[in-house]
Amino acid sequence: MAHKKVVFLSLASDFGCQVQVTNFPELLEMLGSIDLSYWQLATSAHMPEDYDVAVIEGAVTTQEHIELLEKVRGIAECVIVVGACACTGGVVGLALNHDLEEAARTVYGKDASKVAWGHIAPRPVDAVIPTDFKVMGCPINPEEFSYILQRAVQGLTDHPHRETLCSECKINENLCFYKQQKVCLGLVTAAGCNSNCVNRGRACTGCRGLAEDANLEAAREFAAKFSLENELLEAIEVYNTARKEA
Amino acid sequence: MTTLNVKHVARIEGHGDITIDVKDGEVKDIRMDIVEPARFFEAMVKGRTYEEAPLITSRICGICSANHAMTSILATEDAFGVEVGTKTKKMRQLLVYGSYLQNHATHLYVLASPDYLGLPSVFPLAETAPDVVSRALGLKRLGNELCTLVGGRPVHPTMAVVGGFTSEPSRDELLRFADRLEAAVRDAAATVELFGDFEIPRFETEGDLISLIDPSTYAIVGGEIHSLDHGWTKPVSEYRSIFEEKVVGHSNSKHVVVDGGTFMASALSRVNNSWDHLLPSARVVASKVGMRPTNKNPFLNNVCQAIELVDAAERCAMLCREIADDTESVLPVEVKPCEGIGRGATEAPRGTLYHTLEYDKNGRVVAGDVITPTAQNLANLEADMRRFAPTVVAKPREEFIMDVERLVRAYDPCLSCAVH
Repeated sequence: MAHKKVVFLSLASDFGCQVQVTNFPELLEMLGSIDLSYWQLATSAHMPEDYDVAVIEGAVTTQEHIELLEKVRGIAECVIVVGACACTGGVVGLALNHDLEEAARTVYGKDASKVAWGHIAPRPVDAVIPTDFKVMGCPINPEEFSYILQRAVQGLTDHPHRETLCSECKINENLCFYKQQKVCLGLVTAAGCNSNCVNRGRACTGCRGLAEDANLEAAREFAAKFSLENELLEAIEVYNTARKEA
Repeated sequence: MTTLNVKHVARIEGHGDITIDVKDGEVKDIRMDIVEPARFFEAMVKGRTYEEAPLITSRICGICSANHAMTSILATEDAFGVEVGTKTKKMRQLLVYGSYLQNHATHLYVLASPDYLGLPSVFPLAETAPDVVSRALGLKRLGNELCTLVGGRPVHPTMAVVGGFTSEPSRDELLRFADRLEAAVRDAAATVELFGDFEIPRFETEGDLISLIDPSTYAIVGGEIHSLDHGWTKPVSEYRSIFEEKVVGHSNSKHVVVDGGTFMASALSRVNNSWDHLLPSARVVASKVGMRPTNKNPFLNNVCQAIELVDAAERCAMLCREIADDTESVLPVEVKPCEGIGRGATEAPRGTLYHTLEYDKNGRVVAGDVITPTAQNLANLEADMRRFAPTVVAKPREEFIMDVERLVRAYDPCLSCAVH
């Protein structure tokens, strides 16, 4: 069987997920089973006209991104979106809380018009084209990426974590942050990170985005018991402002 | 007139294009177009809490995430008048050095070395020179694991917060890690030799070399701003009046100048400005490959990064041993938000990073400002490109472009940082 041709593309992001992929030495071994045709971060080879799998990092913030995605969807049989920016809009989506022109003026001052190159409201990739696999997190976990990439090249389907982080956190026997009067987004965030932050004393900040099974109403009621309802809703904004409603 | 275009320069972090106009064998114009889209971080932090600010700014860059988080933490502590203990300060150094090991190993081996080995990427080396690849991956892994040990994960640290750390590594973990760091000094030294052997053009930047300095140590977390050419040293609190930001039409990143002049923020700047504070072992390997101050060849930035790998590995081993036996708590000290403006600076792998955060009395961000090392470097990079390109324009086209790209990569630009 011919190796699947894989390309790695990046939209508006911090490149952190690609860095995580380079942080994964086993990728080199995987190269024996895939043909990594384009990866601007790591190689000067040019983008090919034909490929099987497109891995996409970053949020959509320009008209050019939309055109690129539509072209990619027409070519790739499988699209994998990686990281919070691509999956939910991530932190990039926070700009939605501001008027775009004003945001540009905040950064560039009176010369903003010189550089405002067709910016559009930030959105996740699945707000533009259908996607086949999502690798959640900010940044992604490279082992999880590798697992999902292998499923993709084998023609299998996605099976995301539907449950919330609380399920993993309880197994890890962490104490609940609400008991210390602190907001933790484990209540509503997709599981799959083995509660890495909470294990290390930091409340979940929700980088994997809202879980499919999240019960927002129940979470609000729970937070309200600790008078943390507003704080909960505000904290959810960081990674979910641009999220596409299911 | 022929216009040569390199769209999305490969093996750099972010999206940038090179445009070169050539007429009758002469370079007429050369530009670095930064097409990376802006994400408007300075707008999006507005209204967020002081606890969220470092988490959000960390997302400016996945390579310099430890620096962005740390710099926002310093700015916030400056605004609120928070003082932290020496052990916390040492853990912070470890976190930033972890990102040096990670970044320098990645930049040197994965991004830069193919330039000198005549390869499109580092992947073919896995077959032909497996020892080099395993050395690269080993150093990178060490950096990742150091970031994880003190920061909670390799990218976007979760344990470092305003006031301290949410947890800390055990004594055993630290001592085991110190052994590994000491063992890595050899690999780091081999990296200096490898890059020292690569043939680089004889070239000198006309710009200044600016970095943080500290009278007591090799400055990476905090310090004062120092100019090599002009000899001045100024406090970080004055950075807004030292640096002038300019919006240029062809770049989504602003350009930065000092007194109208371009400058380089880089490992080259640090090694020149803080030479006396490099550990002796690092100075020895540096001298062996001919890197001694003052040296202003930007192509040597790669060698300087390798020198910093030697210094970082040995220094971090010492830091790990020191904090392993220090019983002081690193848990966050009490933080009382108040109205005020705070500034912070750290040395990111590619140069000095400055943040300002202005807060209201409830600890919510009123305004933010970020000046990244790559934004500081872009004007100088273009100035270097304009002087360097004519010296290689007679070469066959592909080689000519490759040489120009090599200069760009020597700067280790980070364009998602530059635009943010």
